[in-house]
Amino acid sequence: MNILRKKLLPYLLLTPMILVMGVLVFYPITATFSYSLKRWKLTSPGDIHFIGLQNYSSILESDSFWYSFQNTLFILTAVVLLTSVVGFLTSIFLHIEVKWSGILLAIAMLPWALPPYVNGILWKFVFSSGYGFLNKVVIGLGLAGQPVEWLNSRRALLLIVSLVVSWRSIPFTALVCLAGRQSIPGGLYEAARIDGGNRYTIFRRITLPLMLPFVAIGITSASVTAINVFDEIIALSGYNDLGANLLVESYLTTFSFLDFGKGSALTYLVILFGTVLGGFYLRSMNKEVDY
Amino acid sequence: MKRKLISTLLVLSMTAAVAAGCGGKDASDTDGNKNPSAEGTTSKDNSGGEGDHITFMAPDWAIPTEDQLEAFTKETGIKVTVNEVGWDDIRDKMVTASAGGQAVADVVEVDWSWVGEFYAADWLAPMEVSDEMKEDMPTLETFTKGGHVLAIPYANDYRLSYYNTKQYEDAGITGEPRTWDEVYTNCKTLKEKGVCEYPFALPLNAEEKTSTYLMWLAYTMNGVVFNEDGTLNRDSVLAALKYEENLIKDELVDPADKTSSGMDTYKRILSGSANFLTGPTSFVSKSTSEEDCSVIGQIEPILVPGKDAKSDVTMALPEALGVTKFSKNKDAAREFIKWYTSSEMQEALNKSNTAIPTRNSVLKKLIDNGSIQNAGAMLEQAERIASPFPGGIPSYYAEMSHTMYNAIHKMALGELTAEEAYAEMDARIAELSFEEAYE
Repeated sequence: MNILRKKLLPYLLLTPMILVMGVLVFYPITATFSYSLKRWKLTSPGDIHFIGLQNYSSILESDSFWYSFQNTLFILTAVVLLTSVVGFLTSIFLHIEVKWSGILLAIAMLPWALPPYVNGILWKFVFSSGYGFLNKVVIGLGLAGQPVEWLNSRRALLLIVSLVVSWRSIPFTALVCLAGRQSIPGGLYEAARIDGGNRYTIFRRITLPLMLPFVAIGITSASVTAINVFDEIIALSGYNDLGANLLVESYLTTFSFLDFGKGSALTYLVILFGTVLGGFYLRSMNKEVDY
Repeated sequence: MKRKLISTLLVLSMTAAVAAGCGGKDASDTDGNKNPSAEGTTSKDNSGGEGDHITFMAPDWAIPTEDQLEAFTKETGIKVTVNEVGWDDIRDKMVTASAGGQAVADVVEVDWSWVGEFYAADWLAPMEVSDEMKEDMPTLETFTKGGHVLAIPYANDYRLSYYNTKQYEDAGITGEPRTWDEVYTNCKTLKEKGVCEYPFALPLNAEEKTSTYLMWLAYTMNGVVFNEDGTLNRDSVLAALKYEENLIKDELVDPADKTSSGMDTYKRILSGSANFLTGPTSFVSKSTSEEDCSVIGQIEPILVPGKDAKSDVTMALPEALGVTKFSKNKDAAREFIKWYTSSEMQEALNKSNTAIPTRNSVLKKLIDNGSIQNAGAMLEQAERIASPFPGGIPSYYAEMSHTMYNAIHKMALGELTAEEAYAEMDARIAELSFEEAYE
């Protein structure tokens, strides 16, 4: 009886979490997949039926999907690059002990606390062609006679979106990297210096390799953020095709055009994209680090 | 043993809490009526005597005063719980609730652009209206689909033109513009004489106002926008697109209009940075408000120009109230809408909420007694309201509008010519109208 109890107890304790995961994660994922296999437009309530993979093929054949996929890839690449490089460098600077270290750290973390939509609105005040701060600076310095339309070209808009998203995600990467930097034993640096290592060698042979797993965590977080960008895009350019990524496309299809079938298929493609990326990161993160 | 028992009880209680939290039962009041007071909304419960109880979901500008609601309850015995929700969120909440077979509220705000999809999805209960009301309320046509009136308009918003008379005098231009060609020529004169750098206020950002502007420009210019089958009328829409393209090329439109919100673009006339606007009726009161306008006394509301003379038609973008199909209190909800859109209430709501009446008789009364000042051609224009949609608002309106404003925005950025922009929107709208007709 005791053995049975011992065997049952772990499962019993896990039950609440299994239920939570089941109801809030697995059920929606399964239901969304079943919707994606149906023709299901809310404006045709009498015409909901199974159509197999037709929603997927229709999406993959559409120009708008590939356009927004390219936008997603651009934002992903730019955000990951900016976040990992700037986040890493910020952590190195934050590691230097000065009188105001605590305050500097708190200031550096501020953008992380901003809600994404507020972040977007804030930057809209900077880049707006009519009343933007940047145009006031550029015109004030005599660098341009007319206001520059920063948000009116695809590349510029995507670059600005990436910059704005990175600004919000850099603090987390910096914080993780700072924790990583602080966890490197001081003895390693002392030994390296005794062995004649200069600053560059110490950085390349000790700091960089030992901090890589922490950078990888930052990259994973930045990637998830970059794929899921929505609020900043809407705040900066609305439902403009120029800046639309997969998530905006999915939202429009599902909630604006009321096509739940196709919208669910699009959501699944985003999930698939995220899963492939996540798998890749997990594999690279599993490499062990020996101090 | 005691610790194990406590652990087991804790696990069971957590499981029960999760199950309860995930339950699908609706919040109900003691009468069993739905009370969908949603997160992010504010609600007020109007206490009253015994009787029906309804919920009313609307944006802030549609909410009656406490006194008005109390008077309604006293008169009918119907209690009203008001859910004040941001306009943008109402459609999303309606979609989510209706897709699940629930009533988001008994009485709900219905924007003119939602009518087609709400009708196709069968989310609104039909209303009954008298012939007198049909006669007095021209915007009812917008909310009529398949022979059914789906909602009763309460806030009138139709397109009216405005121009700055002082700038015309400064540029030596006499008389108000009567045709779109005159508007164009006068704008060029204003620019050339240095009176106004960007005289034409034209929304060009990728948003709803950009599509509707093209619709009423084509409608007032040529009297038609869509063919009977729902496709675009090539001659009319292409002419309107070319008109916009020329305005952009001749720099008569502020480059900032490409990224500003449509409302910010409209507001340029209130500061004198634009001379001509065809826009909402609310600008009649804005043009006399010291808070909103820096050129008071200079803006005159006039009839919308046409091709050879003033246009015979104008487009309305009104807001209405409808009864949700899943409401369990339809009769009480209809009673509320009847009261809300009555002549007396339209007059009262103009005073309390500055709502422009949808009944022409009330509008006339308010203009005549001076409640609405600087009305100009407001009343005459109201009598020319007509719908550019031959079969009513289509169910694919949202996607159609999205396609239109993106194509116009690309034209404004120089990525597409007027012909290319037309081809882009025409192809998609033809597909959508075909799907609606045959699927």
